[in-house]
Amino acid sequence: MRALRAMLVRFAAIFDRGRLDRELAAELEGHLAMAIDDNLRAGMTAEEARRHAHIQLGGVAQVEESYRERRGLPALENLARDLRFGARMLLRNPGFTAVAVLTLGLGIGANTAIFSVVHEVLLRPLPFPDAERLVMLWEVTPDGGHQNTTSRFNFRTWREQSKSFEAMAAFSDQRSSLSGGGEPEEVSVQLATPELFRILGIAPILGRVLMSEDARPDAPRVAVLGYAFWQRRFGGDPRVIGKVITLNGSPRTVVGVLPAGFQWHISKKSGTVKPAEIWVTLTMPTEGPGVHGRFLSVVARLKRGVSYEQATAEMKAHAARLAQDVPEHSKGYSAEVIPLREQIVGNVRRALLILLGAVGFVLLIACANVANLLLSRAAAREKEIALRTALGARRMRVVRQLLTESVLLAALGSLLGLGLAWWGIRALVAISPRDLVNLQGVGLQLPVLAWTLAVSLATGILFGLVPALEATRLNLNDTLKEGTKSSGGQSARSRRLRSILVVAEVALSLVLLTSAGLLMKSFDRLQKIDTGFNTENVLTMVVRLPDAKYREDPQIVGFFREALERIRTLPGVRFAGMVNYLPLYGGLGAATGFTVEGRPVPPGEEPSTDVRVADPGYFRAMEIPLLRGRNFTDLEAREARHVVLVSESMARQHFPGENPIGKRISVAMFDQPVLTEIIGIVGDVRYDSLIDKVEPTVYFPLPELAYAFMTLVIRTTGDPAEIAPAVRRELREIDPDQPVSDVRTMNQVMADTVGRARFNTLLLGLFAGLATLLAAIGVFGVINYSVTLRTREIGLRMALGAQPGKVLMLVLKQGLLLAWMGIGIGLAGALALTRLLSSLLYEVSATDPLTFAVIALLLTGVSWLACYLPARRAARLEPLIALRYDG
Amino acid sequence: MIWVSHMREPKADVWQGTLALMVLKTLEILGPLHGYGIARRIEQTSGDLLAVNYGTLYPALLKLEQEGFIASEWGVSENNRKAKFYKLTRAGRAQLAKEAREWERTTAIIARFFAAGEEPT
Repeated sequence: MRALRAMLVRFAAIFDRGRLDRELAAELEGHLAMAIDDNLRAGMTAEEARRHAHIQLGGVAQVEESYRERRGLPALENLARDLRFGARMLLRNPGFTAVAVLTLGLGIGANTAIFSVVHEVLLRPLPFPDAERLVMLWEVTPDGGHQNTTSRFNFRTWREQSKSFEAMAAFSDQRSSLSGGGEPEEVSVQLATPELFRILGIAPILGRVLMSEDARPDAPRVAVLGYAFWQRRFGGDPRVIGKVITLNGSPRTVVGVLPAGFQWHISKKSGTVKPAEIWVTLTMPTEGPGVHGRFLSVVARLKRGVSYEQATAEMKAHAARLAQDVPEHSKGYSAEVIPLREQIVGNVRRALLILLGAVGFVLLIACANVANLLLSRAAAREKEIALRTALGARRMRVVRQLLTESVLLAALGSLLGLGLAWWGIRALVAISPRDLVNLQGVGLQLPVLAWTLAVSLATGILFGLVPALEATRLNLNDTLKEGTKSSGGQSARSRRLRSILVVAEVALSLVLLTSAGLLMKSFDRLQKIDTGFNTENVLTMVVRLPDAKYREDPQIVGFFREALERIRTLPGVRFAGMVNYLPLYGGLGAATGFTVEGRPVPPGEEPSTDVRVADPGYFRAMEIPLLRGRNFTDLEAREARHVVLVSESMARQHFPGENPIGKRISVAMFDQPVLTEIIGIVGDVRYDSLIDKVEPTVYFPLPELAYAFMTLVIRTTGDPAEIAPAVRRELREIDPDQPVSDVRTMNQVMADTVGRARFNTLLLGLFAGLATLLAAIGVFGVINYSVTLRTREIGLRMALGAQPGKVLMLVLKQGLLLAWMGIGIGLAGALALTRLLSSLLYEVSATDPLTFAVIALLLTGVSWLACYLPARRAARLEPLIALRYDG
Repeated sequence: MIWVSHMREPKADVWQGTLALMVLKTLEILGPLHGYGIARRIEQTSGDLLAVNYGTLYPALLKLEQEGFIASEWGVSENNRKAKFYKLTRAGRAQLAKEAREWERTTAIIARFFAAGEEPT
């Protein structure tokens, strides 16, 4: 306590030096006067009395000095003095300061922005208690498909028999239409077993969550609302409990509201793109047609002390037993356990870490540049430093002074960097792909600021230490001697150091450029993939008819027929059609087994096919080619005539060497087997992803398989987005309560599909460009400075007859030699490092020779440009003036 | 306490620590007093065996003041000189009592050591 008090008093004293100095002077003066008085009284002469008093008191200056040491905080005051001096030095060289601060600001800003995303996505604990014990349970399909959903039957078996988990919950996202009390809209609804909330540790802020009683078949139908939905739809009304909402036409009573910020969306195999806003009970009938349908995601909480490996072993054993017990449904299936964090960020982690590494490189290059600037400035400060040393400053004291300056520079840089990062984070969030987990919380939070602070201190020392040590390593006599020029103030050592820094910069930027080049090439390949349809000028929107209102199939068929007929008459519409699951929309489609008439297979071994419901207009609007046979007729689009179209893959894989047209297949989509005749073959379409293999597909017309949920697909003559309002108007005229959702052009759907690849490519490209710019500035700086140093030598050469062209080459060669060394080292580094990229690359090798060659050439060109300006300056020197140059 | 600090900083603090004790004791006995008076008093009490180093006295006074054991205010000396007068605070009185106790204990221990040394072994 006493020490703290003293500390505070001393700290305060720093700011009151003038007054305290005067007080001390007065006190010592009084002391002296009293001593003289006493001496006089003791009988001394006035002269003697004064002399004695002075001897007694000792040197006033020394007293004052030791007094001051105690009064303030000398270490702090030294630091403040260094800072003030540093600030003055920086102000005196505004050009240098601006370049250095800008360079560092860019580097630190990029680092802060990327780190804030890394912090949010990879480091921040998941918002669930004990989240490291949360895992996802998936099945693995017989053909090796990972993270596959499970069935009610299997889930119930796991839940009853497993020993590794405290609790287990199944859930499934669905799009539902919400009507009554306001605008009809489409919402994401999660069907969940009641354990979900206990497992995630979520308590309601109003009412209750789902309970096991709600899962009884005769229980009243209830719903729990998400916070945002409650705010939006009910204005945050606390009396919402007991109110009724209508989902898919059937009423449900609101029993609870969940806290703000709660979100539970596992995008893998989710039926929706948007996170759920309403939770309803997932019923668990013990038998019936649906118990073996695989559509459930499962989350579980590990028991304490149970490892992922143990849980995985147990789940595999369950899968093996299920394969024996119910072979017709589970033969060949396995199971897997994925930690929740892995599930949420797994495939983003690598990309983010690579980006963080990339901005690290950019910062290193920025440091090298500033170190170079400092080294070239050290020459100008040689005298000052020599003088300080001569006056008794120890080397460490001078180094500390210089380091204070560079840390100050770094601090200014990080201030600018924070500004850039603030802006950069917004840009990042704006361009981040929809599936890059939730970035809403990203910002300059405390850990991010701490990171920036640490980074700026580290950079300050990193780029400042070598120049500071270099600057204080000097020979006093040589420097102080009047008129002596030590080879332009730069030792060979220091020149070599600067060259090494430039080589390193070029090498680092080559690594970044190569990585960016590989990603760009991969992205280009990705975009050139043949999707099987034409994305230009296509508008899509989702219409989901509420079950309660459209109970009968003819109602559904009638609605969509009328809708399409009306849309087709709109000006600007070339074709209009519909399909239930749009290609690449980002969610689940339907897939099931099928048999060909006359080819019996044992149960459980039927081949599988994707199933789509479409009308004839769909193929025209998407320009999916009809390869053989015919499209659906109008009659077939009106009533069930038991006909289907199949995809090229289906024809190739299951009817090799024969004509499938006229053959009849039975697709397991109906309660009773229904034989349908193949009437035509259409081109393959990539439904699930751009890069996975294309699955065989069967297309049913709507009357055959009346889905209440369809995506309208409209090909227009002009901008497809412009026609959206007219389409909505037509739909409203048929049914004013009918919502539409996900109004997107097909180009937007495509852009979302490659969103993550574009995000990575864009950012890495940006950082590589930044790195190259900084490296070019570095090369320019070093060569330019060396021309200045060699002015007299060049003048001499020219006076002795060297042609300007020769001088130009001399300088260019010097610069390019450095660049090539950097490129050589960089190529080696890139060969070692780009392997880390391979999981992000599509059909491009991580060591693609063409990319490497192009990048090396590009960097040579950039270095040539950076050297050309100083080289031209050297070539244009006037020999006579150059010879007298006093540099 | 004194022993510990002696061990850590063997040289300077011995005198400083003792000087602080003397200053506190002087102020306890004489009441508010200026720096010159304190120095004179210490010298006289020691029978002029000690010479107070002013380069040490004023920093010591400053330290005691920073720690809150003494307080100072400007006043006028007996022969009309402007001087800064120091006086003991309540915390200073408590500190003095504590340090005096410790000092006595220390000297007692030392004394016993010397007494033991005189016995033939």
